[in-house]
Amino acid sequence: MLSIKITLFLVSGVSSFIIFYMGIVNFLTSVEETTGMILLIFSVFVATGTLLATVNISRNITLPIEKLTQDMKQFSSTNKASKREPLKTNVSEIFQLNEDFKKMEQKVEKTIELTNDYVEKLKEVDRKKIEFSSMVSHELKTPLVPILGYVQMLQKKNFLGELNDKQLDAVNEIHSATVRLQRLVGDILTTQKLDLGKLDFNKEESNVLELLNSVIKEFHPIAEEKKILLEMNFNENISIFTDKDRISQVFSNLIKNSIDFVPKSGGIITIGAKDCGDVVEFLVRDNGSGMSTENQKDIFKKFYQIDTSTSRKRSGSGLGLAICKGIVEGLGGKIWVESKINEQTTFYFTIPKKPTISSTNNELNNKISN
Amino acid sequence: MTKAKNQQEEEKLKILIVDDNEQITKMLTTFLELNDHECTVASDGSEGLKRIKENNYDVILLDLAMPEFDGYSVIKDLEDNNMLKDQRIIVFTASTITQDELDDLVKRGVSAYILKPIDIDILHSKLKEIAKL
Repeated sequence: MLSIKITLFLVSGVSSFIIFYMGIVNFLTSVEETTGMILLIFSVFVATGTLLATVNISRNITLPIEKLTQDMKQFSSTNKASKREPLKTNVSEIFQLNEDFKKMEQKVEKTIELTNDYVEKLKEVDRKKIEFSSMVSHELKTPLVPILGYVQMLQKKNFLGELNDKQLDAVNEIHSATVRLQRLVGDILTTQKLDLGKLDFNKEESNVLELLNSVIKEFHPIAEEKKILLEMNFNENISIFTDKDRISQVFSNLIKNSIDFVPKSGGIITIGAKDCGDVVEFLVRDNGSGMSTENQKDIFKKFYQIDTSTSRKRSGSGLGLAICKGIVEGLGGKIWVESKINEQTTFYFTIPKKPTISSTNNELNNKISN
Repeated sequence: MTKAKNQQEEEKLKILIVDDNEQITKMLTTFLELNDHECTVASDGSEGLKRIKENNYDVILLDLAMPEFDGYSVIKDLEDNNMLKDQRIIVFTASTITQDELDDLVKRGVSAYILKPIDIDILHSKLKEIAKL
């Protein structure tokens, strides 16, 4: 790109040269010596004048513009109005340009400062909010201790006296509601820890087959009770360095979901794993009602329930899948779902075989800053 | 299993409960006394520590989260006085504690831990285990 300065000197240089050249030509070809001399001197004056004018224009216009350009460049990289030498110019347009730039500079700087202040304040509010809800959840947990203790005692025949069938029924209802409340409080606390990046993982060398077997063992009684066929599709010897309790938790949340969605008779839930090089791909598949593509996008969001009608048969907290996502990502993997309405739903998640640096914290910070 | 048979098998334990929440200590006392154990309650850490130093208890149930003088301080004090290894302590804790912290407590000499809310069946089986030691 051409700069004003070079263009200016080029144009004035060429024109002064042409004037000077014409003067010389006139001097050499002129019949009358005096006329030639006058023309030559005149041409020298005009050429010198043009050059001097160019230098003057350059000093008053191009130099200030160059400086202004430099200042703007510096400002755009630092976003700070720095103290600098005043612009020397006697051209009113450039003077005005510089004044307006200074004003704009101060406004932009103030706006950026304000925005940063707001971001800091928002971060603080967010932290306080999470801390507060964490405190509330803890406070909810304390009264659960005596409730659960007394209910358990009432359920035992030889502790606080034997109850009749109706009373025992009532106590059993209280017990299951209390357990649900306890689980809900636990889920909320886990989600908060995930949000704060505080969920700790205890990674160790684990065998994938043993892990799946323990999941099957845990859910075998409930599957039998609900007449659901619980299958395992895996028979390899892979070891994985990860937190096996947290992976069991992911399986547990996914299977509990599946149990709610499989048909009343002929329900099938399959769990499995696949060796994919650096990662192990786990799956939980059910032959339940499936879900629309629309729902597939949102199910990992907190408190998301597919059926929000009050008559829904499900009673989960709406945090299960959000927790799964948090755990899987915290362990360096990915989770997704594939589903066909009225056919089947499969949840997949990958877990790296070797340790990875957890990025949960950084991601959280980025989310807040953005 | 009948209760009569249970009682014969089980040893009668002298238990100290250190917890600031009255409802929890009352529930625990009810449960433990029904199991024929002898219970004493301390409603904060400093009272608990005083009792531990003056008496001999078979088992101490200690809540970690208490205002001011908490369970950690009790454990620290016992450790400083070289008394921790002589005590059988079961700590109660909320799930906010990390596994590393729990492992550390066990390494220092705490016998067992129970996550809140306390399942009385788990408490019962832990007491049985510890009584055998």
